[in-house]
Amino acid sequence: MDFQSCFDIIGPVMVGPSSSHTAGVVSIGKFTYELLGGCQPERVRITLYDSFAQTYQGHGTDKALLGGLLGMGTEDVQIKDAIALAKEENIDYQFLLEKDHCPYYDHPNTVIIVAEVGYRRVKVGGVSLGGGLSQIFLINDAETAIRLSTEDDLRSICNRLPLYMLTNHQQEV
Amino acid sequence: MQLNSMEELLSYCETQNVSIADMMINMESEKTEKTREDIFNKMKDRLIKMQEAVESGKSDGTPAPSGISGGDALKMGEYINSGDTLSGSLITRAMRYAMATSECNARMGVIVATPTAGSAGVLPGILFSLRDNDDYSLDELTYGLFTASALGYIIANRSFVSGAAGGCQAEVGSATAMAAGVIVEVKGGTPVQAVHATAMALKSLIGLVCDPVGGLVEVPCIKRNVIGTSIAFSSADMALAGIESRIPCDEVIETMYRVGREMPRTLRETSLGGLATTPTGEEIKRKLYNR
Repeated sequence: MDFQSCFDIIGPVMVGPSSSHTAGVVSIGKFTYELLGGCQPERVRITLYDSFAQTYQGHGTDKALLGGLLGMGTEDVQIKDAIALAKEENIDYQFLLEKDHCPYYDHPNTVIIVAEVGYRRVKVGGVSLGGGLSQIFLINDAETAIRLSTEDDLRSICNRLPLYMLTNHQQEV
Repeated sequence: MQLNSMEELLSYCETQNVSIADMMINMESEKTEKTREDIFNKMKDRLIKMQEAVESGKSDGTPAPSGISGGDALKMGEYINSGDTLSGSLITRAMRYAMATSECNARMGVIVATPTAGSAGVLPGILFSLRDNDDYSLDELTYGLFTASALGYIIANRSFVSGAAGGCQAEVGSATAMAAGVIVEVKGGTPVQAVHATAMALKSLIGLVCDPVGGLVEVPCIKRNVIGTSIAFSSADMALAGIESRIPCDEVIETMYRVGREMPRTLRETSLGGLATTPTGEEIKRKLYNR
């Protein structure tokens, strides 16, 4: 049962154009932002898989992820300007495209984000399930299954994570 | 209380003697321990966001950033005002409002995903057309959104609502199926009739592929939302006439899931097949990404 509430079906309230390619990924980006302690990353590498890799520009998946990483929510009308805003903030970002499906999670809408600020580095794997609902399946090197709706308080979810998930992994960004 | 199938939904409505909408409010209230009033008001806020998207979209003639959509809701409005349309005002207004919402979505405006952004036009289309034609209040339409969410909840949990997972049948198909049930319940039909309408609408869209030109939620998505409103009204009319779906709704949903699993990847939102790879589709894509 991925969908738990009537507001998962009638909702989210969001900027278009795609609930799975835009709204769901804003949450994954914002989750990463909260995992960095409510900070915008200085450097970020974003790997898009499968359907995401094919259609990310048209759906604004890139803007949605960067918007989330800048701390925006799904209703934020500034999401359409997120690329320009990320450049203004001097964020060193790069999108990497993998045409195949993600090795960690079998779904066409998957993304892996490696983000850094100062000495902090986090790796987050997220899947957008449709209707604005998403799930975090990887934090650093620990597999997990954290369901995110666009209404969740992502900061408090991050604050409740077990300590072993928060240890930095060694892979280079 | 858990809602796993249309059969369970109908048996709950029958034993408790409640509408589908009331059942959903009861379930939400039980799960979240919030009052019915709070839940109702939150849904009404979403209805108002939907109304704002319709209002902004129906008079906005500007193109989407891609340049490949926009301005058609305005054309539809002028056509309706001419007074000489084939379909009656219920259908034509639903078409216009669905188009307005989906065009607003393509402009990266604020919409409500119902159940997804790509299929956000169908429900506001039928709801605000019902309001214009029969003077339904916003509260009555809010009940309609609860009906929609119960039907969508079962579809989403037993099948899928993303084009990447299951094709357009999962998006516009689900939205249209929800809308058909909503119309029946808003018009005073029974829960059984509403579920038959849902089944008939979904059956009509089984197999519909997701093939967005240039990867954008514009062509053919916007017009599929528009057409979805007509299918929803036809299905609702059949159900209100006492016509039943021969295949039970739960089995139709299961079929949608099975067909989606069998659908090749090229037809599930990758833009690698269908209308996306027509000569014109390819040409649009080339122009978009060479800008």
